[in-house]
Amino acid sequence: MNEQELLDAVGRLPKSLEPPRDLWPGISTRINARLWRRWYWVPLAAAAALALVLIGRSIKPTAWDVTALAGRPLIGTKRLSASGRLRVGDWLQTDDSSRALVAVGRIGQVEVQPDTRVQLVVARANEHRLALARGTIAAKVDAVPRLFFVDTPAGTAIDLGCAYTLATDSLGKGLLHVTGGEVEFQTRQRSARVPLGALVQIRPPLGPGTPYVEDAPAPFVRALIAFDFEKGRARAMRTTLALARPQDALSLWHLLQRVAPPLRGVVYDRLAALVPPPPGVTRGGAIALHSRDLEGYWTKIHSIHFRRMVLRGVREINPRTGLAR
Amino acid sequence: MPDDLVARAQAGDQTAFRELYRQHAGRVYALCLRLTGEPRDAEERTQDVFVRLWDKLRSFRGESAFSSWLHRLAVNVVLNERRTTGRRERRVMPAEDPDNVVGAQHAAPLPSSTQGLSIDLERAIAELPDGAREVFVLYDIEGYGHGEIAQLVGIAEGTSKAQLFRARRLLREKLER
Repeated sequence: MNEQELLDAVGRLPKSLEPPRDLWPGISTRINARLWRRWYWVPLAAAAALALVLIGRSIKPTAWDVTALAGRPLIGTKRLSASGRLRVGDWLQTDDSSRALVAVGRIGQVEVQPDTRVQLVVARANEHRLALARGTIAAKVDAVPRLFFVDTPAGTAIDLGCAYTLATDSLGKGLLHVTGGEVEFQTRQRSARVPLGALVQIRPPLGPGTPYVEDAPAPFVRALIAFDFEKGRARAMRTTLALARPQDALSLWHLLQRVAPPLRGVVYDRLAALVPPPPGVTRGGAIALHSRDLEGYWTKIHSIHFRRMVLRGVREINPRTGLAR
Repeated sequence: MPDDLVARAQAGDQTAFRELYRQHAGRVYALCLRLTGEPRDAEERTQDVFVRLWDKLRSFRGESAFSSWLHRLAVNVVLNERRTTGRRERRVMPAEDPDNVVGAQHAAPLPSSTQGLSIDLERAIAELPDGAREVFVLYDIEGYGHGEIAQLVGIAEGTSKAQLFRARRLLREKLER
């Protein structure tokens, strides 16, 4: 057979061949299944769209409302006359005669004091973050822990459900004063737990010093600052231990984790003498910084401290036991 | 009226769509059978083509004949399926089993002098290697050019020509035995 004969034969091939069986039932079934799936998805798609809207609403605002409390604060380069919006990346700046109130999404508010410069860094439902370059802010947050963060040159204040005042200069030297709940202040090197009625000095690069209670004697506070940020740490530690009262147990709890390992026993013994450890906490475990022992001790110290602060002016609380006198 | 049928099917009328199937199933099946070389695959692909047609029908704007548009759709469905499954092995059907002879049962009645040759040719086409068979069916039976085939199959134009040459040579050898 030559090529032409082949092509002639090809030309005679039928263009149409009937399938050996009726294929329509299979086609019809698949088409109807697709139709059903299409309608099935309508309510689901509507529900998904509604969920997206709701999520979108919960995530928003991506900008926070700002109200001028005094003077005319700046947002970026614009003067704020009464109210405005602080968007992610925007800087809010007050001068010596202006103040502003910033709504922290839907979870709280921050009062920006005079001579302060803050930036909105993140405005999401699961993360609200400001950067405090300098100045003072007073924050009140009503939310689950770890939703609101304030970055400073010396570290980050992490809200654990609280109210606090945070001040810093442009170099990062500042003070955190907690007036409700608890705040964690941390850097990569260390962290500090600061409950209501307590303060902590903050300085870069170390970050938080050792927290102390509001009514801590000045010499005790000076000794702590010397221990945390100055030379002569060993002497400062001895002074701290000598001046510590049962009310200062939260300071010694932090100190235990910050002294050199050979000195932990001394700190622990002083702490145990001021506030006896709860059952289950061992000296060896605490000195080895086992989290179970440290957390157990912290729970007791925090509980006594909390009762003392909450019942302040109402009932006198034994700072060793937490019981009313 | 075919145009009316298409319009009704586009509007979701399944009765009209079934009529479109009835009118075009033979042409689509023939194409699928020759491209795949296997009756069972051809049935599946034919169903795939009409399901795909149902999905795509609204995009038909009447810029070409409906049958041409459907033909192109069918070629794409078959070639895409083969690309997806990657089945490139040569299918060889035993000649002694008459049920497996492509076209033996399904070919339209032909004049007696040519019927035998057509059946042999269908069987020989089915026995071609996949690549050669696709090019031969598309070029010599369906009338596509090498440029189009190259695009459809995803090969170079030169490869298409070489496959056609190879297919014709193999077919001549088979038919001369």
